[in-house]
Amino acid sequence: MTFFATSSDRPRQDSDHRFKTVDYTSNVLQLFIESLDRQPPGQVLDLGPVCQENIRFFAERVKRLYVCDMFIRLERCLGKGNPVDRIWHELDYPPESFDGILIWELADRLDDDEVRALVKLCYIMLKPGGMAVVLVLGEQAARLGVNSFVIGQDFKVGLRSQPHLRLPIRGRQNRDVLAMMTPLKPAKSFICRLGFMEFLFTRD
Amino acid sequence: MLKKSKKFNTGTASSHVPAPVEGKTIIGEQIIIDGAIRGKEDLLIEGSVKGRIEVETHHLTVGPRGQVEAEIQAANVTISGRLVGNINAAGKVEITKEADFNGEITAKSISVEDGAYLKAVIELKREPHKQPVSVVKPEEKSASEPVKEPLTLAGKSSKGN
Repeated sequence: MTFFATSSDRPRQDSDHRFKTVDYTSNVLQLFIESLDRQPPGQVLDLGPVCQENIRFFAERVKRLYVCDMFIRLERCLGKGNPVDRIWHELDYPPESFDGILIWELADRLDDDEVRALVKLCYIMLKPGGMAVVLVLGEQAARLGVNSFVIGQDFKVGLRSQPHLRLPIRGRQNRDVLAMMTPLKPAKSFICRLGFMEFLFTRD
Repeated sequence: MLKKSKKFNTGTASSHVPAPVEGKTIIGEQIIIDGAIRGKEDLLIEGSVKGRIEVETHHLTVGPRGQVEAEIQAANVTISGRLVGNINAAGKVEITKEADFNGEITAKSISVEDGAYLKAVIELKREPHKQPVSVVKPEEKSASEPVKEPLTLAGKSSKGN
């Protein structure tokens, strides 16, 4: 598999495409929403690139939607040559605040130690029984550059290019990702079109 | 500088007095306001405002050069500059890609452009008795623990780590 370790390695022309026509039906998002629906309206934290459609989708389904775009924070942090741990203070939410956290493919943009730091924070912020959505990009999806995963009708997800975000991508085997997600427990995983994996993790 | 911007309807040739059809106040780049602003017309902020802004039946715009730290009540809000604070809008909140927002938004609807720098809590106003959209049948729902809410985010923004 070919992955691009740094943003400069990535083919530039791909990120110039504003909209990608590829889409898939997300089983993990459907399970995530179904699980949220079994409880009184709760709270969800979205760490993904700011996305109008996703904000509406979740804001209509939960009591309070928290949005903290960690991709743009990572972009600016790396752009200034600052250590990545500077961005973690943004996740200053009290423990056990959220029924769900959308991490998307943020772990693919971080090195191993940074992923462990992120997972530790997410574990603390999740309520017991809370869930986290994680994507692990495959070779094909990684070549598309940074995208938001835009949720549409019936959990159809389309990719929309985020040309303002030029982040590195780390190529990892699924088992390596699973190991780094401890102490979150894998609940479900699905392989999607384009070859990437969707994971649903839970907190005990 | 504070400016009064009005567009006038020139009307027909027989009209001698133009009738105002639209008006808004502009707080210019060189203006700093610390305190409360209340008004009954649209407001555009390109300067610095700290405090409270109430234009309950009108549109508040924080322009690209605007820097606002305030509690806001407005009919509709557009953010293109920097805003730290909480917004309560009867209608829509629009956040453009140039915006840097940190705070809570309570509104009927919201639109956000890709690229906006955002740390927000979003709560959409729902019609009374209207439940959130659900994919699970009502009888499948079960009781759960009371919701524990994170603290209000409004505070220091940390743009550009």
